Amino acid sequence: MSTAMNFGSKSFKPRAPDKGSFPLDHFGECKSFKETFMKCLRENSFDNSSCRMQSKDYLQCRMDHQLMAKEPLEKLGFKNQMDPPPHSQTHTESQSSS
Amino acid sequence: MIGLSYASVPLYRLYCQVSGLGGTAVAGHDSEQVETMTPVKERIIKVTFNADTHASIQWNFRPQQSEIYVVPGETALAFYRAKNPTDKPIIGISTYNVVPFEAGQYFNKIQCFCFEEQRLNPQEEVDMPVFFYIDPDFDVDPRMARVDTITLSYTFFEAKGGQSLPLPGFSYSSLRTSDKPMTDP
Repeated sequence: MSTAMNFGSKSFKPRAPDKGSFPLDHFGECKSFKETFMKCLRENSFDNSSCRMQSKDYLQCRMDHQLMAKEPLEKLGFKNQMDPPPHSQTHTESQSSS
Repeated sequence: MIGLSYASVPLYRLYCQVSGLGGTAVAGHDSEQVETMTPVKERIIKVTFNADTHASIQWNFRPQQSEIYVVPGETALAFYRAKNPTDKPIIGISTYNVVPFEAGQYFNKIQCFCFEEQRLNPQEEVDMPVFFYIDPDFDVDPRMARVDTITLSYTFFEAKGGQSLPLPGFSYSSLRTSDKPMTDP
């Protein structure tokens, strides 16, 4: 754990986010998706795993409104929440958890 | 008052130097990992949220949930909210802290609202998301065996408009060794 920036005692090193900063949703375009997600959390004892669909929908909203760089949601960890495409010959089954 | 906001500039530079700000990939953060990682479903971690504002900034800033339960290897979303109750625009900039210290290296933010200036107009209120995950290696690090709560704290400072925060001119390769999480037992 020793680094050039170590100040003698343990110090936390913040790191910039991988994809930078979210633009602010000044017009509340995705507020309803946020509310749906928060409601899901409250109803599920704040268990993130129970509300993955809602968090995916929120991020999708951001992408739809240019509030987030568009990329496939599988790359954001939502591969298990994605519907298989209607023509499913291209549906790739990645190795799942045990 | 001016001194307080100027103090945040060297602070920000310090964090920049360590974090490699500017959207460049930081060693140890593999974006492929997010796509391929598998949730460790049996290891539930409580993430709690703090919000602070420096005395220099008049925003109201608070988390929208006091805690959320996550598992390593699964991306998670959480929200803060900020309001500018004054009658003039205020630009803020935030940094964050994670405790316990040793868990911080496993706490990966994919996207959030930190390290860049955020402007709120008079009376404006916005949601501020944090999209993160805890590295699955957290579950196999013996130092983390007893860690079941991680606290994420954000602090907002006021940034004066038009202030440019230059990226220090240093070699990113010098950061590589310091940003890799320790995976050796």
